[in-house]
Amino acid sequence: MAKTTNIVEFLEAGIRAESLRQMAITNNIANLQTPGYRRLDAKFELALAKALDSSGAADLEQVKPELYRPRQTPVKSNGNDVNLEAEIGEMVKNALRYKTYVRLLNKKYQQMEAAINVR
Amino acid sequence: MEVTNGFGPIDIAISGMRAQDKNLSIISSNVANAQSTDNGKGEPYRRLEAVFKAAGDGLGGVRLDEVVEDKGDLPKILRPGHPDADEQGYVTMPNVDLPVEMINLTLAARAYQANVAVLKRYQRMVETTLELLR
Repeated sequence: MAKTTNIVEFLEAGIRAESLRQMAITNNIANLQTPGYRRLDAKFELALAKALDSSGAADLEQVKPELYRPRQTPVKSNGNDVNLEAEIGEMVKNALRYKTYVRLLNKKYQQMEAAINVR
Repeated sequence: MEVTNGFGPIDIAISGMRAQDKNLSIISSNVANAQSTDNGKGEPYRRLEAVFKAAGDGLGGVRLDEVVEDKGDLPKILRPGHPDADEQGYVTMPNVDLPVEMINLTLAARAYQANVAVLKRYQRMVETTLELLR
């Protein structure tokens, strides 16, 4: 796919990234007591920032959200580094970003509909 | 945790929750060891105290800086049959005062709740802003 500046495609990519991050957080909370488990996170924003050229266009096929283990949080005695409070904070932030993207997408479709219904 | 993005209040509230969570484990350790006459080194348990510090300069939230032992006097009670009793029959007890710990427990739980309240309110504020996009 060629480079795009289409807002709908960007929002779609953002929503996909936040969905993946939500899954990572859910997995982290599920593994709260698992010995040796290191928390998962989704990597997307930085890759997107790098892929953007000076005109604000990017090839979104090349920028895929992916899971990684940050290994930066303090590890508990059982080798696990998940903190429930921190995960809940991430979840709240994630939900707010997701909601923002969906609302913006919705607004964009309303705009298109308004353009179609002009008589 | 350092605050780096636009969701500052969330990170700050979470740092408060985390600090109070650790504080709660310290208080429960004090309560659980209120009668521990031996801490493994032949001395009675000393109550622990959490020291909080503001993280970063200003808007960085809070962190539990260190856990220090209370150097206050250890009370002695007469219990001649106790294996840790001295020649006069007195046992040195931990300096844990249960009523004080109960007050600290209430304070810690309330502080945790206060941080959750801030988090919830901020979440609602952002959602109000998002209503503008409907």
